[in-house]
Amino acid sequence: MSSEALIELKGVGKRFNGLAVVQDLGFSMQAGEILGLVGPNGSGKTTAINLISGVYAVDAGEIRLQGQRIERLAAFRRVHLGINRSFQVPKPFRAMTVAENVTVAAEFGGSKVDTKQILDDVGLAADRDRPAGALTVNHQKMLDLARALATSPKLLLVDEIGAGLNPGELASVADLLLALARRGIALIVVEHLLKFLNRITDRVIVLNAGRLLFEGTLAQASAHPEVVAAFLGG
Amino acid sequence: MQLLEYALVGGVLYGLFFSLVGIGLNVVFGVLRMINLAHGQFIVLGGFGAWLLYQDLHLNPIFGVVLAVLGAVAVGIPLYWAVVPRLQQSRDPEMLSFILFFGLAQMIDAGALLAFGASERSIPNGTLGAGSLGILGQAFPDSWWVAATVSVLAILGLYLFLSRTRLGYATRAVMANRAEALASGIDVDQVSVLAFVIGLALAGIAGVFVPFLLGSVSPSLGDALTTTSFAVIIIGSLGRPLGTVVGGLVFGLGTMLMETYFSSWSSLVPYALLVIIVLVRPAGLLGRAVREA
Amino acid sequence: MLVVLGLAFLALPHVYANQSLLFTMMTFIALAQGLNLLYGFTGYLPFGYVGFFGAGAYGMSLLVLHAGMPALLAVLGGGIAAAAVAVILGPLLRLSGAYFSIANLATSQILYLVVANPALSPVTGGPYGLKIERVFAPEAAYLTMLAIMLIASAIAIFFRVSRFGLGLRAMTEDRVSAEMAGIDIVRARLIVWLVSAAIAGLAGSAYAWSISVYYPQAVFGLQISVFAIVFALFGGVGTVIGPIVGAAALYALYNAIGITVPQYFELIYGFLIVVLVLFLPDGVLSLLERRGIRVL
Repeated sequence: MSSEALIELKGVGKRFNGLAVVQDLGFSMQAGEILGLVGPNGSGKTTAINLISGVYAVDAGEIRLQGQRIERLAAFRRVHLGINRSFQVPKPFRAMTVAENVTVAAEFGGSKVDTKQILDDVGLAADRDRPAGALTVNHQKMLDLARALATSPKLLLVDEIGAGLNPGELASVADLLLALARRGIALIVVEHLLKFLNRITDRVIVLNAGRLLFEGTLAQASAHPEVVAAFLGG
Repeated sequence: MQLLEYALVGGVLYGLFFSLVGIGLNVVFGVLRMINLAHGQFIVLGGFGAWLLYQDLHLNPIFGVVLAVLGAVAVGIPLYWAVVPRLQQSRDPEMLSFILFFGLAQMIDAGALLAFGASERSIPNGTLGAGSLGILGQAFPDSWWVAATVSVLAILGLYLFLSRTRLGYATRAVMANRAEALASGIDVDQVSVLAFVIGLALAGIAGVFVPFLLGSVSPSLGDALTTTSFAVIIIGSLGRPLGTVVGGLVFGLGTMLMETYFSSWSSLVPYALLVIIVLVRPAGLLGRAVREA
Repeated sequence: MLVVLGLAFLALPHVYANQSLLFTMMTFIALAQGLNLLYGFTGYLPFGYVGFFGAGAYGMSLLVLHAGMPALLAVLGGGIAAAAVAVILGPLLRLSGAYFSIANLATSQILYLVVANPALSPVTGGPYGLKIERVFAPEAAYLTMLAIMLIASAIAIFFRVSRFGLGLRAMTEDRVSAEMAGIDIVRARLIVWLVSAAIAGLAGSAYAWSISVYYPQAVFGLQISVFAIVFALFGGVGTVIGPIVGAAALYALYNAIGITVPQYFELIYGFLIVVLVLFLPDGVLSLLERRGIRVL
């Protein structure tokens, strides 16, 4: 095992009511790398995110962050170690203001951060005193991201942030993610919009029915017959 | 072995009765996703109904069953419309309804106490048949057999309603998924009112037999009956009316065995069962028993 | 505000002769506040809250009777006893909503049935209860209850203004997100659970000290949970002064109309609960907040 890997998964599996939703998943990433996670609906992408972030416990396999086994740690401990995420359906603290949302994460996330700068980065500076529940869904997604950034993550898991954004917004989100990667944050980006993904990375993993079907560049993936079949079939 | 046989036969009869005690709570929960914390109080009212019929009108207390159904219709429909729709719009229907029905339970407790006094009212066993029927050499008063028979009939009736009628089918659809039932054109309110009334009626019918199975009826029984019902339906899995029979039998046998061998601790049975069950298999009961994280 | 509350209950016995009424009022303020700590700040509604009250009362009394402990120290012991019970009941926190409430209710019944069981008469007095009249000291018990009430309210203030309280707010809004903000949810709610239980235990201890002779039903009656819940809800949970206002106002009302025929009061507060839930689920103080007046 290379000690340089920031995150490494080996043989990770998860079952719900006996049904395997993720099986024998393994890959590794370096700091500052962006990995696209694609696959048809129900292929286990979000489950993979939930397993890495600790929202679900794994049934099998190991997950290492900088060499340290973390698959048994509670989610908040993984946050302290440097893993955070956004949600496909954003989950802000709705009754709190935007600024309070980020402050909570800064207070409990275990690191010193400039919350103002973070709100600037995600474009929510003007909304800082509004209740989070009053934001549009797109802005709530950005708030998820801001809250994650307030815990100074080394690995950021981004779950379908592109859906519902217009081309201009997509471009600025892509720029933001690229800027984060340049700061050394590793990103796993679950995305249906392949064009968007193509902008930020050329390394993708394709999941199908909970299994790793393909790993390589996006261009290779789209030429791969099994991948194409999976997408058309799913 | 005499003791054991007595406990087993008694436990089955007692357990069938407690299936009836719990099943109304389960029907209401299954359809409305609300816990009727006044369930035990409605049982008590059923008991007082039967007692009044016997005491003042000198009727056979079995007519209390009819009275319970009429009472459930008369109380259930206005009560449903007064509180349920508003609760379902609130920020936390499950918890707030829980508290509201708790308030209602307090009102019924107080009202029953004012109307009937605190003393325990009993009905002579003979009114439901003077003899006693034996099985395996164990004799139990007729009233126990009547209670168990009515319980089986009521539950069978509920089963036939759910499985054989259009409305029953709609009811099961609402139990399975309220939002989808609504979307597929089922009149969810109609189904809910009906379920609420059925729940109260079953509680009232169970109440008719309380003076016989528990010896007497008094206003202070309500809370214990609610907790016991909760234990029974949790053992048999919440939201599934027929599982309640299993819950009732487990409870009945457990209580009778405890009463036979460790009588001073038998009152612990429903509470201990409840706590053990919710802690040991919370997920199996119903997904929502356990917090998400 | 704590000073005002403290001074009020120090001064009141001099102008109002019925000290036992004032004592009981403080008991209910402490209980409503203790319950508010749990329900108002984490969303767990403990129907069996009285179990901790009773555990405190019995813990305190048994320490006096069997260990010969001085009363004040035994009060502390009672608080610890209740917290110890809370540790054992910790797994209940895995349950949600109504399941938690009912399971908690069942555990308080179990405690009661065990304590009041004739088989344990030599230790707990069984159904006959306990007598600790040899440490009877109404003045000291009064001041102790006053202190407990103030401590409970001080903790509520802490929950309102501190970083810890911010974390609790986040937890009640969204559990998963709170965890993603780095909050140790399991630890935080266990702390609140223990603190809330300890407050009830302390209150139960001081109550036992004050009445000194009691039946098990007097400290394990479901009615005590009911009062604490209604008082806290009436004023408004999640605030500091809500439970104080609720307990003071409703307990005064209870004494005005409830003494002769308590059922009328039960009828009224049952009705009050129904009306509150339907029309004012956040308590009477939320009326002020709707007018833009911020309530602590």
